[in-house]
Amino acid sequence: MEVFIQTLVAGILMGGIYALVGLGMTLIMGVMKIVNLAHGQLMMIAMYITFVLFDHFHIDPYFSLLVSMPALFLLGAFIQKYLLNPLLKVDSILPENQVLMTVGVGMILTEIVRFIFQSDYKSVKTSYSFSTMYLGTISFNTSMVVAFCIAVLLTGGLFFFLARTDVGKSVRATAQNKDAALLMGVNAEWITILTYGLGAALVAAAGTLLLPIYYLFPDVGGRFTLKAFVITILGGMGSTVGAIVGGVFLGIAESLGATYISMALSDAVGLVIFLLVLIFLPGGLKKLTKI
Amino acid sequence: MKRMVSAIVTLSFALAFLVLPAFAQETVKVGIILPITGEKAKFGEIEKKSFEMALEEINAAGGINGKKLEFLLEDDTGRPDVARSAAEKLITKDKVVMLGGGYGSSETFAIAGVAQQSRIPFLVNTGSDDKITEKKWEYIFRLNPPVSEYPKGLESFLTEVVKPKTAVILYENTNFGSSGSKEFKATCERLGIKVLMMEGYEHGGVDFKPLLIKVKQANPDLVYMISYLMDASLLMRQSLELRVTPKLFVGGAAGFTLPEFQKNAGKASDMVYSATLWYQTLPYPGAQKYFDDFKKKFGVDTEYHGAEAYAAAFVIADALKRTKSLGPEDVRQALAATDMMTVFGPVKFIAYDTMTNQNKLPTYLVQWIDGKLELVWPKNVASKPYVYPIDWEKIWK
Amino acid sequence: MKSIRWSTLVILLLLAVFPLVIQSDYYRHILIIALMWVVIGSSWNLLSGYTGQVSFGHAIFFGIGAYTAGLCTTQLDISAWYGMLLGGPVALLIGLVIGWICFRLRGPYFALATIAVGEIFRLVATEWVDFTEGMQGILIIQTFRSKIPYYYLALGLAAACIYSIHTVMNSKWGYYFLAIREDQDAAEALGISSFRYKSLSLMISAFFTGLAGAFYMNYMAFIDPQVVFSLHFISIMAILVGIIGGVGTLWGPPAGAFIMVLLQETFRSAFFGMLPKWVSEAHVLVFGLLVIFVIRYMANGIVGDWGKVRQVFSSRKASPSAGSGN
Repeated sequence: MEVFIQTLVAGILMGGIYALVGLGMTLIMGVMKIVNLAHGQLMMIAMYITFVLFDHFHIDPYFSLLVSMPALFLLGAFIQKYLLNPLLKVDSILPENQVLMTVGVGMILTEIVRFIFQSDYKSVKTSYSFSTMYLGTISFNTSMVVAFCIAVLLTGGLFFFLARTDVGKSVRATAQNKDAALLMGVNAEWITILTYGLGAALVAAAGTLLLPIYYLFPDVGGRFTLKAFVITILGGMGSTVGAIVGGVFLGIAESLGATYISMALSDAVGLVIFLLVLIFLPGGLKKLTKI
Repeated sequence: MKRMVSAIVTLSFALAFLVLPAFAQETVKVGIILPITGEKAKFGEIEKKSFEMALEEINAAGGINGKKLEFLLEDDTGRPDVARSAAEKLITKDKVVMLGGGYGSSETFAIAGVAQQSRIPFLVNTGSDDKITEKKWEYIFRLNPPVSEYPKGLESFLTEVVKPKTAVILYENTNFGSSGSKEFKATCERLGIKVLMMEGYEHGGVDFKPLLIKVKQANPDLVYMISYLMDASLLMRQSLELRVTPKLFVGGAAGFTLPEFQKNAGKASDMVYSATLWYQTLPYPGAQKYFDDFKKKFGVDTEYHGAEAYAAAFVIADALKRTKSLGPEDVRQALAATDMMTVFGPVKFIAYDTMTNQNKLPTYLVQWIDGKLELVWPKNVASKPYVYPIDWEKIWK
Repeated sequence: MKSIRWSTLVILLLLAVFPLVIQSDYYRHILIIALMWVVIGSSWNLLSGYTGQVSFGHAIFFGIGAYTAGLCTTQLDISAWYGMLLGGPVALLIGLVIGWICFRLRGPYFALATIAVGEIFRLVATEWVDFTEGMQGILIIQTFRSKIPYYYLALGLAAACIYSIHTVMNSKWGYYFLAIREDQDAAEALGISSFRYKSLSLMISAFFTGLAGAFYMNYMAFIDPQVVFSLHFISIMAILVGIIGGVGTLWGPPAGAFIMVLLQETFRSAFFGMLPKWVSEAHVLVFGLLVIFVIRYMANGIVGDWGKVRQVFSSRKASPSAGSGN
């Protein structure tokens, strides 16, 4: 029984990080219907920023959030404005151009970083790196608990932003029907820039919070991009609450899969669930939530 | 378009032909294949530096009978297909007289295939899959022990001191990990240790807790782990978190002996044992000097990978000095006749068990004590006495 | 049968005499790899460029072909060359199953699904050690010491592949594929079974990619799951070859294959040893830049947008309406 509970806890906490990764992706996919294959690389950039701040200026990762998130927001906005938006007007055979552009962007980001930092592994060791909380015999990794809480906060913030603010409503409007939104006076181009930037900022948070418990190298992003997709599809595109639920769901599924099937196939568990949801439940869990 | 392609192709080849003839045979060229970039870059770096250090000394002492020795370094990026291409390039384009290096087992295997087929001698100094010298490939020589022998030094420690009854084996899903774990399982069965659990994991994992929770529940006396660098750090850190407390943790070399392991895992690395193939206080001439020189020159500690590379350089030089000509068959015979002492230990290629052209060496046990890697077994060469039994509560405070 | 342009014959002739003229094994190797990518890229293009189903999982078929050949030696104790006969059909059959699962998905969802399936294959191949040897991989000894037989085999494969695609696209099937790409619903309305023709396209695509995989096993003589089922190095590379060369064109992927392979090797060897070492580390960066540039300005690839390229090089007589959207 204890094994089960501990496994569950591990899965839920991991789900918090996943949720953050998925949150940005669901926004981008929901609003702009772009499959952002550079998502993991954006996270990686944030992690390097965090690392440099820690290594050179001894700034704690939690404070780095205040730097990495805005920085990635700007980077995301830049990418959207100069690389992705122009594609909408280009006449090409395949509509998947945007996706492939993100592949190119991802490659460039990775290689630039590799050039500067080389491929070796970097890590940060903070005072709380080893801190663990215990509830009886069940251990909770402190950093992950904090990350989980921040994920919830950010989800709440995003939810509020989308539901209550004017800009947020414009975002939702553009997601629902871009042309109609244009007709209603929404500056769709500006909204897409904002959204990509926001999505990037959110995954930046995930990266910054992940760094103390993992490690860093230029290719770290790839696996997280895949997870982000799984979560987005699971939770439903554009659904903020869906991202949290999807993230936690994935975390638990992988955790249980690792314990009761095999660690090596735990990634496969997520992928199989992903396929099943794609095929049989295309709206994701969104059907159960309002946004 | 197609014309443009043909033009570009022709032009580049023409340019290359201008460059190629420029190489007159004034130096003796040996190809060295290592992971310079990619995930195994850290290991590749230590070996590269060691090769370079050795090269300087060899050439300062007269090179190969007066001619300069040259190491042509190729990056296999930790992938066997790249390793294979690199080997082909060194053999066909650069016309090296032999190959050296070989870090990852998969990569080494791929290179060996090319070398054997091209009939070019290859001195392996790190790749540890037993199969590499079990194929009866006469052009392949190995300086280091195969992965099945890594835990040899550990064996006597287990039977004399620890006497564990149960064990759990965790391994990375790579050639190195899967072959190493299979061999250790066989060792356990031989020693009468019950293997409660043997599980592989995809390297690069973030969360090993599900795995470690199972380990905790199995409550083994011994936990044996095989991984390259970063997984090793995370495994120990998360074991600390979950309070997984077997009687001892033993790493199967590789990631567990790197200085980075201690840096990344911090106090979670303390008291962890590891198999190792070399230590600087071993009574081999030049071992301690190599360690000190390396530290002085590069500012970081070296360990068994570096020693392998350093020794390999001298074995290569020795064979090339003795060889009748630089033709591959003569070089091969010279290598086969090697009988010398290096900082890594004595080198003589013999056939034993199922292997050929294999150098036979003992292995040792190290332990991280107070943040430093100490040789603890066998007792007569130990730099510090081993710490056992281990009070995890105290260590992990 | 449409007449074969004489420029095609010239290219074929040049390629045919290449290994006899160029004696270096190193350069022959580069061309062999380029020819292999012609097959993979063209196959991908059939499904993704012509039929509009963008696959991010072509490594599946490559890996299946490679493992079919490899398993011939480890499980059946027969030569890996049988894999050349079996690899294509096996990949084709698996392609059918995958199509059956994934074709109900459209556009980006289909792409995501192919990524997932590709990764699942890789993980299973890694874990199922008893069957596939896992990460220890499968190693064989090359049958031929010389590269020449392999070169002609690759050339033959590439020629067969391009010819097949050319024939298919000029047939009724070709029209159906294009129709499905342009507007699947409209095509259905006209009585074209999208599922049937998407499957056909996939089957041909998988067949040739599987062949390429089997060839790889026989030529490179070593495979493991990480190499042949690689998302990054096989699937995405196939897409890049297609995109840069030009999707939906016959000669696009071949051009793309040559460009990518030559570019990669040129950079990796630092312009064949003439430039400093750090240049070799930049080759992926150059790829990325090329991708961005091509997608942004020449979305139909170098061959597809050849007109634009010529416009740049010819005098500035840009006609007022023909400018590309900016």
